[in-house]
Amino acid sequence: MLDDDREQFRGDARRRLLLVGGCLGAGFLVLGGRLFHLQVMRGGEYRTLAEDNRISLKPIFAPRGRIFDRENRALVENSPDFEVVVVPELAGSLRMLFKRLSRHIDLSEEEIKHLLQQARRQRSFLPLRVKSHLSWEEVSSIEVRIHEFPGLDLQSQSVRYYPYDALACHILGYLGEPSDGDRKRLSRITFRSGDLVGKSGVEQHFEELLRGREGVLEMEVNAVGRHVRELHRNPPESGEDLRLSIDFDLQKEAQEAMGEETGSVVAMDPNTGEILAMVSTPSYNPNQFIRGFTHAQWQALSTDPDRPLINKAHQGQYPPGSTFKIVVALAGLATGKLDPKEQVHCGGFLLKEEQRFYCWRRHGHGSVNLIQALTQSCDVFFYKLAERLGIDAIERQAHKMGLGGVTGVDLDSERAGLIPSRAWKRKMFKASWYPGETLITGIGQGYVLTTPLQLASMIATVANGGTVYRPSLLKLEPGQVPDVMVRNHFSAHHLELLRQGLEAVVHDPTGTAAKARPEGGIRVAGKTGTSQVARHRREKSGQIIKSTNEKLQDHALFVCYAPLDRPKIAVSVIVEHGGHGGSAAAPVAKRVMDRYFTKYGSGA
Amino acid sequence: MNESESGHAWLSLGGTASLGWTERLRRFPWSLLLLLLLTIFFGFGVLYSAVGGENNLWLFWRQVIQSSIGIGIMLTVALLAGEKIFRRFSYMFYFGSLTLLAVTMIMGSVGMGARRWLEVGFFRLQTSELMKVALILALARYFHDHAKAGSLGWRDLGVPFLMILCPMAFIIKQPDLGTAVLLAGVGLSIVVVAGISWKVLFTLVIVLGASMPLAWNGLHTYQKQRIITLFSPERDPLGSGYHIIQSKIAVGSGGVTGKGFMAGSQSQLDFLPERHTDFIFSVLAEEWGFLGGVTLLVLYALLILRALLIAEMANDRFGLLTVVGATMLFSVQVVVNVGMVLGLLPVVGVPLPLISYGGSSMVTLMIAMGLLAHVSLYSRQHGRSV
Repeated sequence: MLDDDREQFRGDARRRLLLVGGCLGAGFLVLGGRLFHLQVMRGGEYRTLAEDNRISLKPIFAPRGRIFDRENRALVENSPDFEVVVVPELAGSLRMLFKRLSRHIDLSEEEIKHLLQQARRQRSFLPLRVKSHLSWEEVSSIEVRIHEFPGLDLQSQSVRYYPYDALACHILGYLGEPSDGDRKRLSRITFRSGDLVGKSGVEQHFEELLRGREGVLEMEVNAVGRHVRELHRNPPESGEDLRLSIDFDLQKEAQEAMGEETGSVVAMDPNTGEILAMVSTPSYNPNQFIRGFTHAQWQALSTDPDRPLINKAHQGQYPPGSTFKIVVALAGLATGKLDPKEQVHCGGFLLKEEQRFYCWRRHGHGSVNLIQALTQSCDVFFYKLAERLGIDAIERQAHKMGLGGVTGVDLDSERAGLIPSRAWKRKMFKASWYPGETLITGIGQGYVLTTPLQLASMIATVANGGTVYRPSLLKLEPGQVPDVMVRNHFSAHHLELLRQGLEAVVHDPTGTAAKARPEGGIRVAGKTGTSQVARHRREKSGQIIKSTNEKLQDHALFVCYAPLDRPKIAVSVIVEHGGHGGSAAAPVAKRVMDRYFTKYGSGA
Repeated sequence: MNESESGHAWLSLGGTASLGWTERLRRFPWSLLLLLLLTIFFGFGVLYSAVGGENNLWLFWRQVIQSSIGIGIMLTVALLAGEKIFRRFSYMFYFGSLTLLAVTMIMGSVGMGARRWLEVGFFRLQTSELMKVALILALARYFHDHAKAGSLGWRDLGVPFLMILCPMAFIIKQPDLGTAVLLAGVGLSIVVVAGISWKVLFTLVIVLGASMPLAWNGLHTYQKQRIITLFSPERDPLGSGYHIIQSKIAVGSGGVTGKGFMAGSQSQLDFLPERHTDFIFSVLAEEWGFLGGVTLLVLYALLILRALLIAEMANDRFGLLTVVGATMLFSVQVVVNVGMVLGLLPVVGVPLPLISYGGSSMVTLMIAMGLLAHVSLYSRQHGRSV
């Protein structure tokens, strides 16, 4: 009986044990299957995820290329910028540390409060930046006491430094945070937060050269991001250094010669197109962009009516005034419509379609030939010549001399200026071209616009006998052939005539630019210009009533090259609201040339 | 099974309640001990890596000491106790444990949002651990005393269910879902083997399934979170899903052969949470791969198989059900822990038996193993099996 009960129980229990064991077996099979699924079937996938977890890539910034002048003087360098950081977990009481630190560096109560807040938000083994842009005094003060501050560290990073501050700022440019436009333009570069990019000047134009290629540091990190060890280092490639065509001495001289005036100076080697100096005033200090502006400073800079951020040399567009007469004169000679010996009478104005076109000299110049007309800048002579040539011929000649289109200089956002034509007028104003407009175009007024750089290139073309070089801001390597934009074959005879006129402008007693005569008897060919800012009111007698408002004064222009026989330097100057070219612009050119010839001499 | 042979074994022992020392040692299930030791040593290797090797060696040595104590307890339970002793004191043990659970609820110390520990002198007693063993013994005793021909209906199961649900209620309140589920699993398996009628079992399963939504509302927010997270860990990858995601990455990236000892990036670089306790299986799977994981599962399976054989040879219901309970205590933890690590079950804080770092669970398990060996030792059919 008892045995039966036990027997029945045993049989039943065995079945039930089998059920329990079966359940467990099924459970184990599921676990094994899952293990197989995760490890064998999807192992590769998870391995990638684990690697992503483990490896943190840290960019190593490539040092940006430095910029030198043609004599290897550094115009832009990378200088160390010190910042002091603290690793909170090593520091003990942060409040105490900051208190003690504030004896050595400028650290306000406000900043300390902010830092303490920040420290609470980030992981305590990550360095916390206490202060950047330390002064040398602050750096040395901390350096000798660094052992008194556990967890404190001085770190240096490389920042852009312009040792001459505002000098040549428009050529060099400045750096700033990349805009959407920059990202689009430089789509090959991946920008990181804190990355800067050239915003103007060669810093902008040669961004990809200067920038180099950033390196990568592969670090093994743990779950909270603490670095465990370095796995691999891909060193950065530093950016290329640039050697500019600029002669720093000349640049400095030109800058100083401009003084407080607003305007631009361009000096160029007429035989290669290399730019020796390029000044735009007023200027700004590119270092300020690295240090950062206050709101007021930035406001002042960006809304200044004299537009210091613009490089007027290639972005300022001005009527060329009488400097344009060079183009018209050459057009006259080349087309044969002007006989060099021909005498034209100037009575102070020209009557055309019942409208008076005045010469700047209200008594007139009397009878003048081409050379005299250039020397004295007789307007009536050129009215007549322009009338005879017609706008089409003038337009053609202007383009041959590099006007009315970009020069291709190594700078972004160059303006093209404007050489008007019938087609242009029809398109812009839906109106036909009036003959009177040809007349004022003949003296470089009306619609004509040129940049100072174009004018320098134009006079350089005259100097070298007809070749329009692409203005270069990079020094040519020995043996390197300069880029040519237009190659003209001007007649030597015509050029000789033109030169005689331009020489007389400077050296003849009746010339308009006696103030441009250099020291040491060097012969110069030049042309003054005065471009109207506002149409002056005239009395019936023709007497101009000059405005007393400075902003309505004429712009003063001067273009020249020297020495006459073997030209080595071409200069264009524009002084905004400077009045007469001869009195305001020519002296600036003279100082640049003097500096050039005292440095290099005038010989071959 | 050969009945006459078993009868002979019964007679030859003459019904003695206690055995001589040589006999005890001869009858001791050495293969069970061998499997346990193999698993424990396997665990040492994994733990050494999980605690970061040299850096936290003290944790490793503590675990070695805890394991040695555990083995000692197992041998004590198996060899020193007389045959009837556990049955005699089972109810007393159960009610004592229940009282302690109640005391814990009132004056226990709080840790990680749960009230689980009782400060006793210099150490902390996790009273729910006592209850695991107590419940097994008490249920075994109940069904032993109320043996009945045929299957058990609702009427027969009222008291056992109350015995299961009472401690569960306390433990859920702590809250400790993992242990509660464990008690339920152990209790239910004992009831099943004790002879629950299939109809009742079926009804029970249906009722439990239907009451799931009700139970859901009673859960703590973090418990709900864990269950939601299980099904879509990617919803909150840095919050509650982090454990599961990182654990799956660790396991998966181990591949077939693993990354090598101390070379698991997930384990060594702190991506794995609780890696020397609840998630130690991930360390094993990452560093030793599929081969390592399967090796451990096979060791566990052999242990369970050996335990079930002991159950099958038990002298009486008490022995049988004690062994079933002890085996289930062990197996449910394995399945729940590994299932959790592999992202199949919610994260419920159940350690991996014999491998996870931790003293209390080791002691409880070794007591259970001791009970297994004890039953085997006194089995009158001993000769028949390994």
